[in-house]
Amino acid sequence: MKKKISWFLVVFLIIYTVLGIINALYFVPKDTAEVTRGLANRWIIQLSDEKAWYTRINPLTIIMSWTIIIGLIVFAVRVGKNFKVIPDRRQSFAESIMDFMYEVVESVIDDPKFVRPTFAIATTLFLYISISNIIGGAMPGLNVNVVDEHVKFTLFQDTWFSPTADLNTNLTYALMVFVISHAFAIKAKGFGGWLKSWLEPMPIMLPMNIIGELAKPISHSLRLFGNIGGGAILTFILTYLVKYLFMPVFYWAYFGIFVGLVQALVFSMLAVAYISEKIS
Amino acid sequence: MEKSLADALVIMGKAIGAGLAMGIGAIGPGIGEGNIGAHAMDAMARQPEMVGTITTRMLIADAVAESTGIYSLLIAFLILLTL
Repeated sequence: MKKKISWFLVVFLIIYTVLGIINALYFVPKDTAEVTRGLANRWIIQLSDEKAWYTRINPLTIIMSWTIIIGLIVFAVRVGKNFKVIPDRRQSFAESIMDFMYEVVESVIDDPKFVRPTFAIATTLFLYISISNIIGGAMPGLNVNVVDEHVKFTLFQDTWFSPTADLNTNLTYALMVFVISHAFAIKAKGFGGWLKSWLEPMPIMLPMNIIGELAKPISHSLRLFGNIGGGAILTFILTYLVKYLFMPVFYWAYFGIFVGLVQALVFSMLAVAYISEKIS
Repeated sequence: MEKSLADALVIMGKAIGAGLAMGIGAIGPGIGEGNIGAHAMDAMARQPEMVGTITTRMLIADAVAESTGIYSLLIAFLILLTL
Protein backbone atom coordinates (compact mmCIF):
# COMPACT_ATOMS: atom_id res chain seq x y z
CA MET A 1 0.00 0.00 0.00
CA LYS A 2 2.81 2.42 0.83
CA LYS A 3 4.51 1.78 -2.50
CA LYS A 4 1.31 2.65 -4.31
CA ILE A 5 1.02 5.97 -2.47
CA SER A 6 4.63 6.93 -3.14
CA TRP A 7 4.21 6.09 -6.84
CA PHE A 8 1.09 8.22 -6.91
CA LEU A 9 2.98 11.11 -5.32
CA VAL A 10 5.87 10.85 -7.79
CA VAL A 11 3.51 10.81 -10.79
CA PHE A 12 1.57 13.72 -9.32
CA LEU A 13 4.76 15.78 -8.83
CA ILE A 14 5.98 15.06 -12.37
CA ILE A 15 2.64 16.09 -13.90
CA TYR A 16 2.56 19.17 -11.68
CA THR A 17 6.07 20.28 -12.67
CA VAL A 18 5.45 19.69 -16.40
CA LEU A 19 2.22 21.69 -16.26
CA GLY A 20 3.99 24.44 -14.32
CA ILE A 21 6.77 24.68 -16.93
CA ILE A 22 4.22 24.77 -19.77
CA ASN A 23 2.35 27.48 -17.90
CA ALA A 24 5.51 29.49 -17.24
CA LEU A 25 6.57 29.29 -20.91
CA TYR A 26 3.29 30.01 -22.68
CA PHE A 27 0.82 31.73 -20.36
CA VAL A 28 2.86 34.56 -18.87
CA PRO A 29 0.87 37.81 -19.06
CA LYS A 30 2.39 40.49 -21.21
CA ASP A 31 1.59 43.23 -18.73
CA THR A 32 1.80 42.64 -15.00
CA ALA A 33 -1.05 45.10 -14.39
CA GLU A 34 -3.27 42.62 -16.25
CA VAL A 35 -2.96 40.24 -13.32
CA THR A 36 -4.98 42.23 -10.83
CA ARG A 37 -7.30 44.08 -13.22
CA GLY A 38 -10.87 43.13 -12.42
CA LEU A 39 -9.72 40.20 -10.29
CA ALA A 40 -12.93 40.03 -8.29
CA ASN A 41 -15.00 39.80 -11.49
CA ARG A 42 -12.65 37.42 -13.27
CA TRP A 43 -14.99 34.45 -13.48
CA ILE A 44 -18.28 36.29 -13.80
CA ILE A 45 -20.05 36.29 -17.16
CA GLN A 46 -22.49 38.98 -18.24
CA LEU A 47 -25.28 37.30 -20.20
CA SER A 48 -26.85 40.41 -21.73
CA ASP A 49 -26.37 44.16 -21.81
CA GLU A 50 -28.86 44.72 -19.03
CA LYS A 51 -27.00 45.10 -15.74
CA ALA A 52 -29.04 43.21 -13.21
CA TRP A 53 -28.38 40.47 -10.71
CA TYR A 54 -30.04 37.77 -12.82
CA THR A 55 -27.93 38.39 -15.92
CA ARG A 56 -24.60 37.82 -14.19
CA ILE A 57 -23.67 34.19 -13.58
CA ASN A 58 -20.53 32.42 -12.50
CA PRO A 59 -20.31 29.24 -14.59
CA LEU A 60 -17.44 27.80 -12.58
CA THR A 61 -19.52 27.73 -9.41
CA ILE A 62 -22.17 25.65 -11.16
CA ILE A 63 -19.66 23.31 -12.80
CA MET A 64 -17.66 22.70 -9.62
CA SER A 65 -20.78 22.33 -7.43
CA TRP A 66 -22.20 19.62 -9.66
CA THR A 67 -18.80 17.89 -9.87
CA ILE A 68 -18.62 17.72 -6.08
CA ILE A 69 -22.24 16.61 -5.70
CA ILE A 70 -21.84 13.81 -8.25
CA GLY A 71 -18.56 12.73 -6.64
CA LEU A 72 -20.16 12.56 -3.20
CA ILE A 73 -23.15 10.58 -4.52
CA VAL A 74 -20.85 8.09 -6.31
CA PHE A 75 -18.76 7.66 -3.15
CA ALA A 76 -21.86 7.17 -0.98
CA VAL A 77 -23.36 4.61 -3.36
CA ARG A 78 -20.11 2.66 -3.60
CA VAL A 79 -19.70 2.57 0.18
CA GLY A 80 -23.35 1.80 0.83
CA LYS A 81 -23.63 -1.05 -1.67
CA ASN A 82 -21.02 -3.32 -0.09
CA PHE A 83 -21.43 -2.57 3.58
CA LYS A 84 -19.52 -5.14 5.62
CA VAL A 85 -18.94 -6.01 9.28
CA ILE A 86 -15.19 -5.87 8.73
CA PRO A 87 -14.75 -2.48 7.06
CA ASP A 88 -12.39 -1.84 4.19
CA ARG A 89 -10.50 1.43 3.82
CA ARG A 90 -13.28 3.44 2.22
CA GLN A 91 -15.92 2.30 4.67
CA SER A 92 -13.76 2.95 7.73
CA PHE A 93 -13.00 6.44 6.45
CA ALA A 94 -16.71 7.19 6.09
CA GLU A 95 -17.46 5.61 9.46
CA SER A 96 -14.80 7.63 11.27
CA ILE A 97 -16.17 10.93 9.92
CA MET A 98 -19.74 9.97 10.85
CA ASP A 99 -18.65 8.81 14.30
CA PHE A 100 -16.81 12.05 15.02
CA MET A 101 -19.73 14.22 13.90
CA TYR A 102 -22.29 12.10 15.74
CA GLU A 103 -20.43 12.38 19.03
CA VAL A 104 -20.14 16.16 18.70
CA VAL A 105 -23.82 16.58 17.79
CA GLU A 106 -24.94 14.25 20.58
CA SER A 107 -23.01 16.25 23.17
CA VAL A 108 -24.48 19.60 22.02
CA ILE A 109 -28.16 18.76 21.31
CA ASP A 110 -30.19 18.10 24.48
CA ASP A 111 -33.36 16.69 22.92
CA PRO A 112 -32.70 13.11 21.67
CA LYS A 113 -35.51 13.47 19.08
CA PHE A 114 -33.51 16.10 17.13
CA VAL A 115 -30.09 14.43 17.23
CA ARG A 116 -30.40 12.45 13.99
CA PRO A 117 -31.79 15.24 11.75
CA THR A 118 -29.21 17.70 13.05
CA PHE A 119 -26.48 15.10 12.51
CA ALA A 120 -27.58 14.62 8.90
CA ILE A 121 -27.56 18.37 8.23
CA ALA A 122 -24.21 19.00 9.93
CA THR A 123 -22.45 16.06 8.25
CA THR A 124 -23.75 16.99 4.81
CA LEU A 125 -22.54 20.56 5.24
CA PHE A 126 -19.17 19.38 6.55
CA LEU A 127 -18.54 16.92 3.71
CA TYR A 128 -19.55 19.29 0.93
CA ILE A 129 -17.72 22.34 2.29
CA SER A 130 -14.52 20.50 3.21
CA ILE A 131 -14.25 18.85 -0.21
CA SER A 132 -14.95 22.09 -2.05
CA ASN A 133 -12.40 23.93 0.11
CA ILE A 134 -9.70 21.32 -0.45
CA ILE A 135 -10.02 21.13 -4.23
CA GLY A 136 -10.34 24.89 -4.50
CA GLY A 137 -6.73 25.47 -3.66
CA ALA A 138 -3.91 26.24 -6.02
CA MET A 139 -3.93 23.50 -8.61
CA PRO A 140 -3.75 24.62 -12.22
CA GLY A 141 -7.33 24.25 -13.24
CA LEU A 142 -10.11 25.46 -15.41
CA ASN A 143 -10.67 29.03 -16.56
CA VAL A 144 -13.74 30.59 -18.12
CA ASN A 145 -13.53 33.91 -19.93
CA VAL A 146 -15.55 35.87 -22.42
CA VAL A 147 -13.61 36.68 -25.58
CA ASP A 148 -15.48 38.60 -28.30
CA GLU A 149 -18.91 37.57 -26.98
CA HIS A 150 -17.96 33.89 -26.94
CA VAL A 151 -17.43 31.83 -23.84
CA LYS A 152 -13.91 30.43 -23.89
CA PHE A 153 -12.75 27.57 -21.71
CA THR A 154 -9.05 27.32 -20.99
CA LEU A 155 -7.56 24.35 -19.20
CA PHE A 156 -4.63 24.56 -16.77
CA GLN A 157 -4.43 28.34 -16.63
CA ASP A 158 -6.07 29.59 -13.45
CA THR A 159 -6.61 27.88 -10.14
CA TRP A 160 -9.51 25.52 -9.55
CA PHE A 161 -12.43 27.60 -8.42
CA SER A 162 -13.92 26.59 -5.12
CA PRO A 163 -17.74 26.90 -4.95
CA THR A 164 -17.41 28.26 -1.41
CA ALA A 165 -15.37 31.20 -2.71
CA ASP A 166 -18.66 32.45 -4.18
CA LEU A 167 -20.97 34.24 -1.75
CA ASN A 168 -24.07 32.69 -3.38
CA THR A 169 -23.20 29.20 -2.16
CA ASN A 170 -22.39 30.28 1.38
CA LEU A 171 -25.43 32.52 1.71
CA THR A 172 -27.66 29.70 0.48
CA TYR A 173 -26.35 27.32 3.13
CA ALA A 174 -26.51 29.93 5.89
CA LEU A 175 -30.12 30.77 5.00
CA MET A 176 -30.96 27.05 4.90
CA VAL A 177 -29.54 26.64 8.41
CA PHE A 178 -31.54 29.71 9.52
CA VAL A 179 -34.81 28.31 8.15
CA ILE A 180 -34.12 24.81 9.48
CA SER A 181 -33.37 26.08 12.98
CA HIS A 182 -36.66 27.99 13.10
CA ALA A 183 -38.58 25.01 11.70
CA PHE A 184 -37.08 22.83 14.43
CA ALA A 185 -37.98 25.48 17.01
CA ILE A 186 -41.62 25.43 15.85
CA LYS A 187 -41.60 21.62 15.97
CA ALA A 188 -40.05 21.52 19.45
CA LYS A 189 -42.01 24.28 21.20
CA GLY A 190 -45.15 24.60 19.12
CA PHE A 191 -46.14 27.71 17.20
CA GLY A 192 -47.15 29.69 20.29
CA GLY A 193 -43.95 28.88 22.10
CA TRP A 194 -41.94 29.92 19.06
CA LEU A 195 -43.76 33.27 18.87
CA LYS A 196 -43.25 33.73 22.59
CA SER A 197 -39.50 33.09 22.27
CA TRP A 198 -39.15 36.36 20.34
CA LEU A 199 -40.35 38.30 23.39
CA GLU A 200 -37.83 36.83 25.81
CA PRO A 201 -36.59 37.87 28.31
CA MET A 202 -39.05 40.78 28.12
CA PRO A 203 -41.25 42.24 25.34
CA ILE A 204 -39.09 45.36 24.91
CA MET A 205 -36.27 43.17 23.58
CA LEU A 206 -38.16 42.27 20.37
CA PRO A 207 -36.14 44.50 17.98
CA MET A 208 -32.89 43.25 19.48
CA ASN A 209 -34.00 39.65 18.97
CA ILE A 210 -34.95 40.32 15.33
CA ILE A 211 -31.61 42.02 14.60
CA GLY A 212 -29.72 39.22 16.33
CA GLU A 213 -31.51 36.57 14.29
CA LEU A 214 -30.89 38.42 11.01
CA ALA A 215 -27.21 38.92 11.82
CA LYS A 216 -26.69 35.17 12.21
CA PRO A 217 -26.85 34.06 8.53
CA ILE A 218 -24.92 37.15 7.41
CA SER A 219 -21.95 36.57 9.71
CA HIS A 220 -22.21 32.81 9.15
CA SER A 221 -21.86 33.15 5.37
CA LEU A 222 -19.40 36.06 5.30
CA ARG A 223 -16.95 34.21 7.54
CA LEU A 224 -16.62 31.26 5.17
CA PHE A 225 -16.63 33.50 2.09
CA GLY A 226 -13.93 35.77 3.49
CA ASN A 227 -11.66 32.92 4.45
CA ILE A 228 -11.92 30.94 1.23
CA GLY A 229 -12.29 33.83 -1.21
CA GLY A 230 -9.55 35.83 0.47
CA GLY A 231 -7.27 32.81 0.48
CA ALA A 232 -7.96 32.18 -3.20
CA ILE A 233 -7.23 35.80 -4.15
CA LEU A 234 -4.06 35.86 -2.00
CA THR A 235 -2.80 32.63 -3.57
CA PHE A 236 -3.68 33.91 -7.03
CA ILE A 237 -1.78 37.19 -6.61
CA LEU A 238 1.22 35.78 -4.76
CA THR A 239 1.82 32.92 -7.19
CA TYR A 240 1.21 34.67 -10.47
CA LEU A 241 4.84 35.63 -10.89
CA VAL A 242 6.18 32.08 -10.61
CA LYS A 243 3.13 30.67 -12.45
CA TYR A 244 2.39 27.55 -10.44
CA LEU A 245 5.93 26.20 -10.35
CA PHE A 246 6.69 25.52 -6.68
CA MET A 247 4.99 27.87 -4.25
CA PRO A 248 1.34 26.87 -4.83
CA VAL A 249 1.88 23.56 -3.05
CA PHE A 250 2.65 25.34 0.21
CA TYR A 251 -0.12 27.92 -0.20
CA TRP A 252 -2.50 25.08 -0.99
CA ALA A 253 -1.39 23.20 2.13
CA TYR A 254 -2.19 26.23 4.27
CA PHE A 255 -5.20 27.86 2.62
CA GLY A 256 -6.73 24.72 1.17
CA ILE A 257 -6.18 21.96 3.67
CA PHE A 258 -5.66 23.63 7.06
CA VAL A 259 -7.89 26.71 6.78
CA GLY A 260 -10.39 24.86 4.59
CA LEU A 261 -10.91 21.97 7.01
CA VAL A 262 -11.06 24.26 10.05
CA GLN A 263 -13.61 26.53 8.37
CA ALA A 264 -15.74 23.57 7.25
CA LEU A 265 -15.72 22.29 10.84
CA VAL A 266 -16.56 25.78 12.15
CA PHE A 267 -19.44 26.19 9.68
CA SER A 268 -21.06 22.90 10.64
CA MET A 269 -20.41 23.43 14.37
CA LEU A 270 -22.03 26.86 14.22
CA ALA A 271 -25.01 25.32 12.41
CA VAL A 272 -25.36 22.76 15.23
CA ALA A 273 -24.99 25.51 17.84
CA TYR A 274 -27.67 27.70 16.22
CA ILE A 275 -30.08 24.77 16.01
CA SER A 276 -29.46 23.71 19.61
CA GLU A 277 -29.91 27.29 20.81
CA LYS A 278 -33.27 27.51 19.05
CA ILE A 279 -34.73 24.21 20.26
CA SER A 280 -33.63 24.40 23.90
CA MET B 1 -0.52 56.73 -20.93
CA GLU B 2 -0.47 60.10 -19.27
CA LYS B 3 -1.71 60.24 -15.73
CA SER B 4 -3.21 63.30 -14.21
CA LEU B 5 -2.96 64.43 -10.63
CA ALA B 6 -6.50 63.24 -9.94
CA ASP B 7 -5.65 59.66 -10.94
CA ALA B 8 -2.59 59.71 -8.73
CA LEU B 9 -4.68 60.99 -5.82
CA VAL B 10 -7.26 58.22 -6.37
CA ILE B 11 -4.57 55.55 -6.35
CA MET B 12 -3.00 57.08 -3.24
CA GLY B 13 -6.37 57.12 -1.49
CA LYS B 14 -7.01 53.49 -2.40
CA ALA B 15 -3.62 52.38 -1.09
CA ILE B 16 -3.92 54.33 2.15
CA GLY B 17 -7.48 53.15 2.71
CA ALA B 18 -6.68 49.49 2.11
CA GLY B 19 -3.62 49.68 4.33
CA LEU B 20 -5.55 51.33 7.16
CA ALA B 21 -8.42 48.85 6.86
CA MET B 22 -6.10 45.85 7.02
CA GLY B 23 -3.80 47.25 9.71
CA ILE B 24 -6.45 48.45 12.14
CA GLY B 25 -8.64 45.43 11.46
CA ALA B 26 -5.83 43.06 12.42
CA ILE B 27 -5.48 44.48 15.95
CA GLY B 28 -8.67 43.05 17.45
CA PRO B 29 -8.35 39.47 16.16
CA GLY B 30 -4.70 39.47 17.24
CA ILE B 31 -5.61 40.34 20.83
CA GLY B 32 -8.53 37.91 20.84
CA GLU B 33 -6.59 34.97 19.44
CA GLY B 34 -3.72 35.68 21.83
CA ASN B 35 -6.14 35.48 24.75
CA ILE B 36 -7.66 32.25 23.45
CA GLY B 37 -4.22 30.68 22.91
CA ALA B 38 -2.96 31.74 26.34
CA HIS B 39 -5.96 30.32 28.16
CA ALA B 40 -5.85 27.12 26.10
CA MET B 41 -2.17 26.65 27.05
CA ASP B 42 -3.12 27.25 30.68
CA ALA B 43 -5.89 24.65 30.51
CA MET B 44 -3.62 22.13 28.75
CA ALA B 45 -0.93 22.55 31.43
CA ARG B 46 -3.49 21.93 34.17
CA GLN B 47 -5.14 18.95 32.48
CA PRO B 48 -2.83 17.22 29.98
CA GLU B 49 -5.36 14.43 29.37
CA MET B 50 -7.79 16.93 27.73
CA VAL B 51 -5.34 18.08 25.02
CA GLY B 52 -7.36 16.77 22.06
CA THR B 53 -10.67 18.33 23.06
CA ILE B 54 -9.05 21.63 24.04
CA THR B 55 -7.16 21.87 20.74
CA THR B 56 -10.32 21.33 18.69
CA ARG B 57 -12.30 23.91 20.64
CA MET B 58 -9.36 26.33 20.55
CA LEU B 59 -9.27 26.12 16.74
CA ILE B 60 -13.01 26.74 16.50
CA ALA B 61 -12.82 29.72 18.87
CA ASP B 62 -9.85 31.07 16.89
CA ALA B 63 -11.82 30.85 13.67
CA VAL B 64 -14.72 32.72 15.25
CA ALA B 65 -12.43 35.37 16.74
CA GLU B 66 -10.68 36.10 13.47
CA SER B 67 -13.91 36.85 11.58
CA THR B 68 -13.58 40.63 12.03
CA GLY B 69 -10.07 40.42 10.60
CA ILE B 70 -11.49 38.51 7.65
CA TYR B 71 -14.10 41.23 7.13
CA SER B 72 -11.38 43.88 7.00
CA LEU B 73 -9.42 41.73 4.53
CA LEU B 74 -12.52 41.60 2.33
CA ILE B 75 -12.91 45.38 2.55
CA ALA B 76 -9.25 45.86 1.62
CA PHE B 77 -9.65 43.59 -1.42
CA LEU B 78 -12.82 45.42 -2.43
CA ILE B 79 -11.06 48.78 -2.21
CA LEU B 80 -8.00 47.61 -4.12
CA LEU B 81 -9.49 45.41 -6.82
CA THR B 82 -13.06 46.41 -7.60
CA LEU B 83 -13.50 50.04 -6.60
